[in-house]
Amino acid sequence: MAEAAHAPSPAAGARHSTTGIDSRKLLMWIFLASECLFFGSLISTYLIFKGDIPFPSPAFITEHMHGGEVTGWFPADRTGPDGTEYAGVLNIPVTSASTFVLLMSSVAMVLAVFGAQNGRPKMMKLWLFATMLLGIVFLGFQVFEFHEFGAEGLNLSTNQFGASFFVLTGFHGAHVTVGVLMLGSLLVGSMRRTGLGPDSGFHVETVGLYWHFVDIVWIVIFTIIYLIPA
Amino acid sequence: MATAAGALAPPAVPAPSVVWSWLTTVDHKRIGTLYGVSGMAFFVLGGIEALMIRGQLAVPNGDVVDAEHFNALFSMHALTMIFLAIMPLGAAFFNWLVPLMIGARDVAFPRLNALSYWFFLAGALMLNASWFLGGAPDTGWFAYPPLTEEPFSTSRAMDFYTVSLLILGVASLIAALNFIVTIINLRAPGMTMLRLPVFVWMTMIVSWLLALSLPVLTVGLVQLYFDRNFTTHFFIPDGGGDPILWQHIFWIFGHPEVYVLILPAMGIVSEVLPTFARKPLFGYAAVVFAGLSIAVLGFAVWSHHMFTTGLGPVPRVVFSATTMTIAVPTGVKIFNWLATLYGGNIRFTTAMYFAVGFIATFTIGGISGVMHASPPIDSQQQDTYFIVAHLHYVLFGGAIMGIFAGVYYWFPKFTGRFLNEGIGKLHFWLFFIGMNLTFFPMHFLGVAGMPRRIYTYDADLGWETWNFVATIGAFVIAAGMLTFLWNFVRSLRAEANAPDNPWDAPTLEWATSSPPPEHDFDVVPVVRARDPLWHDRDNGLAPPEPDPNEHIHLPPPSYYPLLIAIGFALFGIGALSHLAVLALGAVVIVYGVWGWVLEPTGPEPGGAH
Amino acid sequence: MSVEGGHAAGAHQRSHPTVRQYLLIGLLLMLITVVELIASYSDIGSLLIPILIVLSAVKFAVVVAYFMHLRFEDPLLTRLFVFGFVLAGAILIALIALFWTDSAISNR
Repeated sequence: MAEAAHAPSPAAGARHSTTGIDSRKLLMWIFLASECLFFGSLISTYLIFKGDIPFPSPAFITEHMHGGEVTGWFPADRTGPDGTEYAGVLNIPVTSASTFVLLMSSVAMVLAVFGAQNGRPKMMKLWLFATMLLGIVFLGFQVFEFHEFGAEGLNLSTNQFGASFFVLTGFHGAHVTVGVLMLGSLLVGSMRRTGLGPDSGFHVETVGLYWHFVDIVWIVIFTIIYLIPA
Repeated sequence: MATAAGALAPPAVPAPSVVWSWLTTVDHKRIGTLYGVSGMAFFVLGGIEALMIRGQLAVPNGDVVDAEHFNALFSMHALTMIFLAIMPLGAAFFNWLVPLMIGARDVAFPRLNALSYWFFLAGALMLNASWFLGGAPDTGWFAYPPLTEEPFSTSRAMDFYTVSLLILGVASLIAALNFIVTIINLRAPGMTMLRLPVFVWMTMIVSWLLALSLPVLTVGLVQLYFDRNFTTHFFIPDGGGDPILWQHIFWIFGHPEVYVLILPAMGIVSEVLPTFARKPLFGYAAVVFAGLSIAVLGFAVWSHHMFTTGLGPVPRVVFSATTMTIAVPTGVKIFNWLATLYGGNIRFTTAMYFAVGFIATFTIGGISGVMHASPPIDSQQQDTYFIVAHLHYVLFGGAIMGIFAGVYYWFPKFTGRFLNEGIGKLHFWLFFIGMNLTFFPMHFLGVAGMPRRIYTYDADLGWETWNFVATIGAFVIAAGMLTFLWNFVRSLRAEANAPDNPWDAPTLEWATSSPPPEHDFDVVPVVRARDPLWHDRDNGLAPPEPDPNEHIHLPPPSYYPLLIAIGFALFGIGALSHLAVLALGAVVIVYGVWGWVLEPTGPEPGGAH
Repeated sequence: MSVEGGHAAGAHQRSHPTVRQYLLIGLLLMLITVVELIASYSDIGSLLIPILIVLSAVKFAVVVAYFMHLRFEDPLLTRLFVFGFVLAGAILIALIALFWTDSAISNR
């Protein structure tokens, strides 16, 4: 992604930039602006279908629901038309934990950038590793959650909540996965004899921008899906 | 290695063969040529599809093609012309001209530039491969569900549609990001934002439109793909979905896309008119801000494509008002072009013919557009040939006429050779008469109630005459295109005798040789005014001398863009066939990205061999 | 990312936060999240959604401004990103409004 700007400048070899902003950083920020529209579209699909989820029929509940507790395939708890209490599928305590993990990873990322920019490669490697680990833990939480929902009978075809939830959080998870790959690449690169080269602070910072963006998308998703009730 | 010692020495690029050098090129001029040649080839293909459509409709109860093939033909005609002809032809000009016009030696990210071309080619080939692999998309370019869902569309056609458009979208997004950064960051000394040529401004606006609208289409395409392959019901009413949601998503992308198609032509015309009127563009700032207004308003009008879907009175009024508002900045541009001509010392070259023809035909298309900005009128015109007439006046009379103005204007710069002016004027008249003959009668057909997308019609409906006239017009256009191809081949075989600035034009691309050297400029120009070459000419300023000690660093060729594009194509083929192919594609992409990252490109000692 | 280039790392005008400040910002983000959780579990009625939106917006802004350094960068970057973000917000709010007020959806 962040390729060198190829010095079309009178001064030999100097990186040319009219505004003084590095082209790669500019590219990343415009890309993130574009990503706002991507996640915005997924989130609005979720919101458009939210509250539009039919209650399961009593016959279906008897057939599929787990012992005792009546679980529905909608985000939060609801009362059905006949006064029955339905429990939503979202497990807020577990997801709060994964949200903390992702927030912690952002703190770790910022420390890695600090290390890279201040000539402290050990600090950089340590916190890059921590960021990647926390990212993997977050993905683990997501796999667990998807698995739990599947066990409850909620999948892509169950209803509009299932479809829009899995596609939205799935694409967020895919972004986290790409971020983990980039962090891993940085980590492997920094183990080389030459390290990440003279531009290491820059590379770590650019990956950091992406990582923090994925984090703020989760801040929005967490609020909209998990915290705001039906 | 490409660190050339001395400004005038050609960079020593190791080139084992001509083909390999094109496959690995990162030179913006060569990539521009690739885009241009591909775009022209697809323009011819889309034209052949159009001729088959017009052949079928020439007489009542025609039997040139059957109904299924007719559906595929009009769908693929639209997809080909929009995504595979007009957009890449625009991109060809962006690639060729933006670095030259801003006084840069390449785009900000040369390898990303190559990547976007190879992605484009992969998507284009995949879309057209559908003809041979179970049928081409046959639901219109807008692919409205539920027609595009099971059980109405059971072949792989719509999966080809979603996957190819996703790949084409990624290609356009990469190019858009690259051009925004290039224009913001690689301007020559003195080239302030309000000295940028209007064409460069339009490139930047188009790039922003793409960067901010393509993600929305991406989401829609993914949802449609999931509906068809992974049992979701986003757009299927039976499962709780909503087909109208697709229409919203599609047109939130689709309307900015309309400006993506027309703004490059507006930029080209804004360069051609001042040169041949021999006076600066009238109201430069107004033209630029009109372009910006069109772009911003373009995001606020999408529902005018959906007036007949039961939006409710308030949304209809709002979207009708925003749509009519767009006529204001568009009108500003048209009057500025006319004022540029007024009092000018006009030279009627072929490029000028096309530019003036553009103003006339585009204005007709613009006015019929304002007509159906009114919901009651639109309710009458929706899905009739009146809409077909309108959109072809904008896209053929606008975008294509503008693009050919650019072809005739910049051909000497691109190739060092002139296109023949006499044959060029014949080409213009065939195009101009042909398009009016084809598309003007469609207004009458629409008002007479002929619906779009019908594959045949009965004899007693009163549509025979104008349909026959339109078909004649289509073949006149085809004759015009053959004339152009003849002119093109003839010129390429002629002597390269174009001087640096044959038209006495004011912008920087004419300051270098024709065709430009690989490093574009021997010395990076310094810009002192909005029309730099006219300013320097009038003030007797000589071009600066090259610095013999300057080391021009050019990026070395790279095969990683092609490799990653192949990986991405495999990924797409996997999405249409088998998971194993998809996984293979992912591996190739990861390998390619790693190679890309580690590939030395910089001028630093030790960074290259 | 490529491994070459001559960018001078850390050539920024305004001073960046220190490690201690980063940790404090991280703590602040945690605290806001805890407050959000408490709010969502307590019965505060119609105020809940505005409170959650404001708190999330604060978290969003803090991450963008400090962790992503936007506060210390050229204002052009802020303008570009905010333009995309505001456009996304405006279009999508308009889209959702079209559906939520649209009788067609309840007739489905």
